[in-house]
Amino acid sequence: MEHEDPRNGESTHRSSKKPKISSKFISEPEIRDEFSHHQPHVARINNGSFGSCPGSVLAAQRQWQLQFLRQPDAFYFNTLRKGITASWKIIMDLINADHVDEVSLVDNVTTAAAIVLQQIGRSFAEGKFQKNDTVLMLHCVFQAVKKSIQAYVTRAGGSVIEVRLPFPVNSEEEIISELKKSIEKGKSNGRKIRLAIIDHITSMPSVVFRAEGIEQVLVDAAHSIGSVKVDVKEVGADFYVSNLHKWFFCPPSVAFLYCKKTNLSSALHHPVVSHEYGNGLHIESAWIGTRDYSSQLVVPAVLEFVNRFEGGIDGIMKRNHDEVVKMGKMLAESWGTNLGSPPKMCAGMMMVGLPSRLCLNSDEDAVRLRSHLRDCYEVEVPIFYQVLKDGEEGVRDKDGFITGYARISHQVYNTMEDYEKFRDAINQLVEDGKTCKILWIE
Amino acid sequence: MASSLQTQTHTNAMNGTSASAADPKSHLSKKPRLHTPPQPLLITPSDIISEFSHHDPSIARINNGSFGCCPSSVLSSQQQLQLQWLQQPDHFYFNQLQSRILQSRNIIKDMINADHVDEVSIVDNATTAAAIVLQQIAWGFAEGRFQPGDAAVMLHYAYGAVKKSVEAYVTRAGGYVIEVPLPFPVNSVDEIVQEFRKALERGKQNGRRVRFAVIDHVTSMPSVVIPVKELVRICREEGVDQVFVDAAHGIGCVDVDMKQIGADFYSSNLHKWLFCPPSVAFLYCRRSTNNSDLHHPVVSHEYGNGLAIESAWIGTRDYSAQLVVPKVLEFINRFEGGIDGIKKKNHEAVVEMGAMLVKAWGTHLGCPPEMCSSMVMVGLPACLGISSDQDALKLRTYLREKFGVEVPIYYRAQKDGEVGPVTGYARISYQVYNKVDDYYKFRDAINHLVHNAFTCASLPN
Repeated sequence: MEHEDPRNGESTHRSSKKPKISSKFISEPEIRDEFSHHQPHVARINNGSFGSCPGSVLAAQRQWQLQFLRQPDAFYFNTLRKGITASWKIIMDLINADHVDEVSLVDNVTTAAAIVLQQIGRSFAEGKFQKNDTVLMLHCVFQAVKKSIQAYVTRAGGSVIEVRLPFPVNSEEEIISELKKSIEKGKSNGRKIRLAIIDHITSMPSVVFRAEGIEQVLVDAAHSIGSVKVDVKEVGADFYVSNLHKWFFCPPSVAFLYCKKTNLSSALHHPVVSHEYGNGLHIESAWIGTRDYSSQLVVPAVLEFVNRFEGGIDGIMKRNHDEVVKMGKMLAESWGTNLGSPPKMCAGMMMVGLPSRLCLNSDEDAVRLRSHLRDCYEVEVPIFYQVLKDGEEGVRDKDGFITGYARISHQVYNTMEDYEKFRDAINQLVEDGKTCKILWIE
Repeated sequence: MASSLQTQTHTNAMNGTSASAADPKSHLSKKPRLHTPPQPLLITPSDIISEFSHHDPSIARINNGSFGCCPSSVLSSQQQLQLQWLQQPDHFYFNQLQSRILQSRNIIKDMINADHVDEVSIVDNATTAAAIVLQQIAWGFAEGRFQPGDAAVMLHYAYGAVKKSVEAYVTRAGGYVIEVPLPFPVNSVDEIVQEFRKALERGKQNGRRVRFAVIDHVTSMPSVVIPVKELVRICREEGVDQVFVDAAHGIGCVDVDMKQIGADFYSSNLHKWLFCPPSVAFLYCRRSTNNSDLHHPVVSHEYGNGLAIESAWIGTRDYSAQLVVPKVLEFINRFEGGIDGIKKKNHEAVVEMGAMLVKAWGTHLGCPPEMCSSMVMVGLPACLGISSDQDALKLRTYLREKFGVEVPIYYRAQKDGEVGPVTGYARISYQVYNKVDDYYKFRDAINHLVHNAFTCASLPN
C-alpha cells in the first residue's frame, strides 16, 4: 500500500484511489484472529474430520455456558427452549425444510444414524418388516454407520446389501449403474428394500429410488452443510443428516437430522429417553437430560459470522471449492500423480494421489504416514489406502500404481503455505527414498 | 438463633484454616517452618465464595439436586481441555483423549470400590445410563430370552425420564411393569421394604419371571434415601434376574460402595454432587453378571469393544466434562475429610436447616433425618393451598421471580380420610456454597406469603 508523503500536500492522484471506508467484509487479519487458537505452524488441511470454530462463536458459546452455570433452573425453564427454537428456524431456512418439526438437533451424524437405524431395528423386532428385508448401503459408508447397521439391522434379522462404487470415480453414470445392480439384488426373492443409505455426493434423486421400490432413503451428508448447497426438498429424501461443526463453524458438536413428515418418520425416537418421550423427535432431542446444549445454541452467532464473508456461506463454499481444486492440481502436478475424482464432484475436500514410491500398501501404512507427517512435518492430513480391485485398471504414476490418497481440505483459515508445506514434505520423503514402512513415528 | 452451622463458619473465619485451630502443640513448636513439609491448606470460606462466584448472587440457591454445581477451578481446567482440542483436534483425538478418559474411569473405580476399571463406563448422565441398561432388556424380549409378560419392577417415585424409558424399552417390547407404591411422608425404612416385597410377589404371580428391577438410591421427588442394599438382597432372594440401581443423586450424596450394594448395574451423575461440569455420569456394570450385551445406543466404530470403550467414543463431541475428574478430586481433597467430610457436613446442615424451617412454619419433614441425604423434604404451610402439580410449579416460579429463591416444590395429594394435611413439600438441599441466609430468605418468603393470606389459586396460569 502506498505511503502518502505529507510533504506532497493534496495529492493530485487522490481521486483515483479507492475511498478509505472500512470494508464491510471480514478482512484477512480478522480471519487470522478468529482462528488464532489453532496451533500455529501446523498445516491444518483436515477440516473434514473435526471441523473448526471461529473465536467469536466460541465466545458466544461461553456466554451461553456461563448463563446456565449462573442459574441453571432459570435457564432450563426460561431460556433453553427459546434458544434451540431460534437455531431450528435458521437451519430450517438454510436447508429449505417446510417446518421446524422436521428439524432435530443432535450431537452428530453418528447419533442421527443410530436414531434412524434403531427405528428400522424396532420394525424388524415388532414384525412390521419381514426377516431378511434389506437395507442398502454404500461400501465406503462411514465406519460408525456400518457398525450401526450391524447393531440395529443385522442383529434384528435384516439383511444388508453393500454397493461397491468404483474409485477413482469418473462419472455419475457409473454410480447410478452400480446402485441399480444392487437394488435388483436387494429385491430378489420377494424382499423389500426398507432403507437405502447414501451420501450427498453420490445421491440419485430420491424419486428415482422410490420408483425402484425403496421404501425410505437416508442421506448421510456428514460434510454437506457449509460445503455444498443443501435443499432437502430438491433431494427429496426421507432423512437427511449433516454435521454443523464440520463446515458450518459450530463448536463440537452439533448436527441436524431432517425428517420429512411421513407416517414412518413420526415413529422415530431419540434413544436417550426423557420425560419428553412421545412429543416428537425434535422435542425429544431438545432435552435428553442435563448436559451442555451450548453448541446447539450458537447457530445465530454462526450465521452472523458467515455473513461477514462476501456471498455469505455460498461465497465461502465456492471459494473453498475453487481453492481446494487449485491446490489439489498443484500437488498432483508436483508429485506426478492424479486427482481421486473429477473436480465437479468435490466440495471443500479433494483426494490427491500420493507418489507410488512411498509404497503405501496397507491401512497401517496410511496411518503411519499420517502420524509421521503430523509428528515430523507439522502437516495434518488424512491418508487413505486404496486397494486395487481385481481386474480393475489401476492408476499409475511414472514409478508404479498409485495406492495412497491424501484428502486435503480448504477452509477460510487456510493459506497457500499449508499446501506448499505438504507438497514439500512428500517430495522430501520421496527424495530421501523413504517408504511408509520405515517411517519414524512417536 | 445460634446453630452449630453458624458457629462452625464463624470459627473457620476467625482462625483461618481449621488445621491450625485444632493443633494443640502449635504454640510449643520451635522448629523453623522451613523444615516442616507444607501441609495442603484446607479450603477457606473465602476460597469457597470465590470458587462459586459465578453463581447468581441474588438467588438463594437451594436446589443443588436438579442441576448440581461446578467450582471455577474445575471450569478453568475444563476450558483448558476444550482449548487443547480446538488447537489441534487430530492430535488430541489420537494422543490424549482415550488415556484421559481412562484416568477418569480409574479414579471413579476407586471411589466406588469397583473391582476392575472395565466395570466403569462414563456417559453423559443418568438418563443415558438408564437407556443403555433398558435397551438390553428390550433385546431380551425381542430375541426371545424373555417371554412376553415377564415383569419389570420400578418404584412409583422413579424419575420421570426413567419411567418413560421403561415404557419405551420394556412395555413396548412386551414386558409387564409393576410400580412399587411408597408412602410419603415416610416414617421408617421398613415401610419401604414391605411395599417392595409385596410388589415382587405380584411380579411373580401367574408364573411370570421378574427379569429386572430398577431401584432409586435417592428418589428425586419426593426425595428419600432408599435402603438399596436390603432391596438388592431381597431381589436376589426372590430370583430377580437383573437389578439396576438408579443413583442419579448417588456419588457425593450417599455412600456408594459397589461391593456392599451388590447390584448388577449402578449409575450416578457426577455433575450433581461431585462438582463436575455438565454433564457426566458413570455406569457401573458388575463383571460377574452376564452383561456383555450392553451397548451404547449411539454406535461408533468401537461397537463390540465393550461398553466402556464404546462410550468413550460416540462420534465427535466435547468430552471435556469427562476429563476433569482428576481436577475435581483435587478440589474435593481441599475439604476436611474429602468427599466423606463434605457429605457429612451437607447432611447435618440440611437436617438442621430443615428443622429450622419446620419449626418456623409449624409443619414437618417428609422423612426421618436418617432417611435423607443432603436434601430433605420440608412441609409447606397448608394454607398456601397447593392443590396440584401445576400449583407446585407455579409457586416455584413465583418464589424464583418474586423472592429470589430457587427450590423445587412437590405436590403430595391428600389421601382419603386425611384432615387438613400438608400438600406441598419443598426439597431443600445443602452444598458447600450454601449459607444460613439462603434458608432464612426462604423461611421469610413463605412467612410473608402466609402472613398475606396468599394461596396458589391467586397465581396466573
